[in-house]
Amino acid sequence: MSYLLFKIFTHFGLLWLILSGLSALTSQVALADGVVVDKVYHPYVLPNEQEFEWRMLSHQNDAGNSLGQRIAYGKSITDNVMVEFYIVGERDSDGDFGLSAYEIESRWMMTDQGEYWADWGLLLEVEKVHRLNIWEVSTGLLFEKEFGRNSLALNAFLIYETGGDINSEFETEFRLQYRYRWLPQVQPAIEIYIGEDYTGIGPTFMGIQRFDGQKQLKWELGFITGLNGDDKDHILRASIEYEF
Amino acid sequence: MSQSAVKLMQSVMVAFALLSFASLANRPEFQLELKNHLFYPAEIEIPANTKVKLVIYNLDTTPEEFDSFDLNREKVIFPQKKSVIFIGPLPPGRYKFFGEFNPNSAQGSVIVVPKKAATNNTNLEDLALIYTVPLAANSFLLKEVLHAN
Repeated sequence: MSYLLFKIFTHFGLLWLILSGLSALTSQVALADGVVVDKVYHPYVLPNEQEFEWRMLSHQNDAGNSLGQRIAYGKSITDNVMVEFYIVGERDSDGDFGLSAYEIESRWMMTDQGEYWADWGLLLEVEKVHRLNIWEVSTGLLFEKEFGRNSLALNAFLIYETGGDINSEFETEFRLQYRYRWLPQVQPAIEIYIGEDYTGIGPTFMGIQRFDGQKQLKWELGFITGLNGDDKDHILRASIEYEF
Repeated sequence: MSQSAVKLMQSVMVAFALLSFASLANRPEFQLELKNHLFYPAEIEIPANTKVKLVIYNLDTTPEEFDSFDLNREKVIFPQKKSVIFIGPLPPGRYKFFGEFNPNSAQGSVIVVPKKAATNNTNLEDLALIYTVPLAANSFLLKEVLHAN
C-alpha cells in the first residue's frame, strides 16, 4: 500500500510540478521561435534497445528553401530510460551544408503502457550550437492515450536558450499527433505544431517493419502546412529509425 | 492564434493529468507462462471493456519480447522473471500476440468476451477440473495435461 502511494506521488507529483511550472511561466515566456516542426515523441522505452536514427526537414516558404538533417544513436540505459546523441546538420544561406549543432537527449518512461488512463513520459534535451556560444535546454512532457485503434500523442516543451551569443529566454512549444493504427507498416496521422509565429498542421504517415528479434525499421513522412499567412509555407519531414 | 492555442493545449494536458489520477482501481489479474518458447495458455479470455493486468512468467533461460500490434503493446520479459502488461479496455474480439525472439513458436491470442462469459485462467482450469474429475482417475495428471495444452 505504501509502495503504491509512493509510486502515485512520484509519478503525479512530478507531473503536477511540471504542469504548474508550465502554466506559471506561460505569461512570462515566449513561444519557441523559428520552425518547431520536428517529431512528435511517444513516452515509451524498451530495455536492451539500441537505435540509429536519421531525420530530415525541408522547409519551403516565401524566403526560399532550408534543409536540416540529423543523425542519432540511442541506447536504453535502464528499463525505462533511453539516451540519444544527435549530430545536426543544416544548409546555410550560401547553400553549403555543414555541421550546425550537437545534442544529447534523455527520454524517461514514467508510467507503464496502459497502467493508467494515459501514458506519461519526460524528455530532457541539451543542445549546443556548433562554433557559437548558444545552449538550449528543453524539458518535454510526453503524453499518449489510446482510443481503440487510435492514439493521441501530445508533447509540451519548456525550452531555455542561453549563452554569450544569444539573449537568454524561456520558450514553450506544443506538438500533437492523432494516429490511426491501421496496419503495422502504414499508420496515417494528423500532426499539429505550435510555436512563436508558427502554427502548422498536416498529414503524416508512419509505419514499422519488423525483422528478427528486436530488429525493426520505423519510418515517418509528414507534410506540414504553416497557417501564418505566408503565400507558401510547407514543410516536408521524414525520419527513419533502425532499432536493434 | 498561437497564444490561445497554447492555453488550450495546457488546459488539455492538465485535465488529462487529473484524469490519470482517477483510474487507479484494482484490475482483474490474468496469468500466462512462457516455457520452451511457448505461451501457456496460448489463448486467454478477458472481459470486454475492462482494463486487466496480464502477468507473464518467463520460465525460460532466455529473454523474450511480448509483442502485439493488435493490443498495441511491446514489453521485454527477462529470463526467470515476471512482467506485467496492462491491456484494455477492449471491445470483444481476438487480439493476437507473439514473442519477438521466437515468433514461430511463441504465439497466442487474447480473446475479449462479453463480461459475464469471461473467466480468468485459474477459474477456467478449476471449472475444467470440476466438470471432468468424475471422468478422470487423477486430477493432478489432468491439470498437467491442461497446462501442457
